[in-house]
Amino acid sequence: MSPSTLSPIAFPDVALPESARRLRTEVRAFLDEEHARGTVLGRPDSWLAGWDPDFSRRLAERGWVGMALPTEYGGAGRGFLERYVVIEELLAAGAPVSAHWVSDRQAGPSILQHGTEEQRRFFLPRIAAGQCFFSIGMSEKNSGSDLASVATRAERTADGWRLTGTKMWTGGAHVNDYAIVLARTDEAEDKHAGLSQFVVDLRAPGVRIEPIHLMSGEHRFNAVHLEGVDVPDGMLLGRPGDGWKQVTGELAFERSGPERYLSTFPLLASLLRELEQRPATAEQLTQVGILTARLHSIRRLSLGVAAALDAGASPDIQAALVKDLGTRLEGTLTDTVRSILPTPADPHATPGTHPELLAFAQLHSPGYTLRGGTNEILRGIITRGLEQHR
Amino acid sequence: MNTHTIDTGAPVVPADAYDTATFYADADSIATVTNTTASDTVALPSPDAATAELLAAVKEAGRRAVPGPFAETALVARPLLHRAHLPVPDGPLSYAIAPELTVRYAHPAASAVGSAGCSGEDNTLLVTGALRRVPWARAATAVVVLATAPFGPVLFTLTPDQAALTPGANLAGEPRDDLHLAALEIPASHVRRISPELLDEARLRAALARSALIAGAAERCVDLTVAHTTARTQFGRPLSRFQAVKQEEARLIEEAALVRAAVQAAAVPLDTGGTAAYFAIAAAKTQASASAAEIARIAHQLHGAIGITQLNPLHLATTRLWSWRDEDGDETYWAPRLARPLTATTLWPTLTTTP
Repeated sequence: MSPSTLSPIAFPDVALPESARRLRTEVRAFLDEEHARGTVLGRPDSWLAGWDPDFSRRLAERGWVGMALPTEYGGAGRGFLERYVVIEELLAAGAPVSAHWVSDRQAGPSILQHGTEEQRRFFLPRIAAGQCFFSIGMSEKNSGSDLASVATRAERTADGWRLTGTKMWTGGAHVNDYAIVLARTDEAEDKHAGLSQFVVDLRAPGVRIEPIHLMSGEHRFNAVHLEGVDVPDGMLLGRPGDGWKQVTGELAFERSGPERYLSTFPLLASLLRELEQRPATAEQLTQVGILTARLHSIRRLSLGVAAALDAGASPDIQAALVKDLGTRLEGTLTDTVRSILPTPADPHATPGTHPELLAFAQLHSPGYTLRGGTNEILRGIITRGLEQHR
Repeated sequence: MNTHTIDTGAPVVPADAYDTATFYADADSIATVTNTTASDTVALPSPDAATAELLAAVKEAGRRAVPGPFAETALVARPLLHRAHLPVPDGPLSYAIAPELTVRYAHPAASAVGSAGCSGEDNTLLVTGALRRVPWARAATAVVVLATAPFGPVLFTLTPDQAALTPGANLAGEPRDDLHLAALEIPASHVRRISPELLDEARLRAALARSALIAGAAERCVDLTVAHTTARTQFGRPLSRFQAVKQEEARLIEEAALVRAAVQAAAVPLDTGGTAAYFAIAAAKTQASASAAEIARIAHQLHGAIGITQLNPLHLATTRLWSWRDEDGDETYWAPRLARPLTATTLWPTLTTTP
């Protein structure tokens, strides 16, 4: 009988190094201190909505921002699995990590891999110190899932490039320092060619930031209008024309991390706190158990991708799979918590109470399966990937 | 017709004995579909194989719908006998966890109650009651029974011919036989007094074995569905080119991968034991049982009509999924047990115990 069709998409067994276990204990002690300080509020979706640059800096002082960057660039030289342990602890606690989120997850590794020596020396120590925050400048009004269709242009000038266009859904552009912008540098026949990445100073002349308010009223996203922004040659990231390759190379990192299944975990913790106040019924326990089993199983898949990345592999199919399973769970969790303990969601209830957290998670829920690549597109990647391996 | 039977005439067609490509290619080929032959055997690992190896073999047995008590022998009966310091017989074995059985010592007068409150040396038992739905009982060399005797749990073995056997089967046609015991004497050499922990371990082993079988049957659903949607053409293109099909197929693949991961995650905890083993295995069986419906639903939907017939091997996997999800504790048995010890503060530490 032929081998299992699933076997090409293996998830390696994970045994965390002893250093990661120690690290987990240290992070928990740090979070206890921050709880006492009143900064860790156990809120859902804290990697999108928990903006606290002082918290980010205190985290950086411990060496936990940009921790996988080499020590010569100010990082901690820790492994990818150690970073995983730190961020899953932070997300489970609902800690405010959104200020440094993109610089830690994407900008740092991307600059390390594609940047010039000068760019590394300038940006990486600042990222690791929690002093330099990044946004992602990819999506546009007409380029969502079809990212290669971006219309923002970069034209050659005497000493650099001039960028014109509008980036959409740019999280934190109004409070962050830089954005990594994907722009067209060449009108190639193949739309995947002719794209390049630039580091754009969000306070530079010609950058106009317009708020886009979420349906909750929160201001997280922006439209970033680039109205002839001059970007020096030194801020081109990687080689001209390599933008698509560079962007897609980051996807496994972006799609498989703990933020793809833990966004609503604090709501489950809140539910258990509520259930401690009264005897739980068998039906309630059954539903909690089913949710917990699923969380546990998805975490194992996610850790498997982390182990593969740590070993230098490119598990793109596995990452897409984790993102679809994990983000669907984030939404299901909210609905299930509601049905386990029927509670009217109330955005104006005291912050941190169950009805308020439920309202917050509910209003954020449609985004879980959209951000980082809509799940419908990811499912295409999964089936195509498996058919090609047959 | 190539069939595997275990003494009862219930035919089990091996998983590879179906070639549906011929069915689609040739309108007259219905007769040939079930007449090809292929191996469906999986080598039984040695009794001292590592847990991860046993789990992988059991998953493969589930994928191939192996017609015999493979998981029961390798992952449950043999290790329990070994743990209880009883000899491990050759051949297929089965098990029954039956605390409701009436068990008493045959010679209580001859065995004075010891100073520790235990009865004396003679462990000969008299056993009355029914063992319900014992997997493959009719085909087993011996059945390992875990029950409760007057001074604590015991493990003993019997052979099916010592009992009155009422044949039964699950949805997949796998034997699930009742064994009726009427004051059956079990000689002391076949009896061991065991710790309550070993009784717990028996439940966990059975649940994990069943979960690994489910993971295998789920993979079989993926194998067959991907093969079918790639080969089958409608409206001039393969089914796999339809967006609606891709969406469903990806969910099937994901759910199967999820069950596989849950089973894989229980290998190390089973060896270390304790609360970590309980959590990991309760989670594995909860996940496996809870995923079975979605996996079977999508596989059948994407197969179309041929999937609900015996012309195609899909039923070998889906009927097993529907049965195995109920056996050795369904999700309504394991999930509340998984959840009961959890509090807002212990939930996250529990999830991150291993690794």
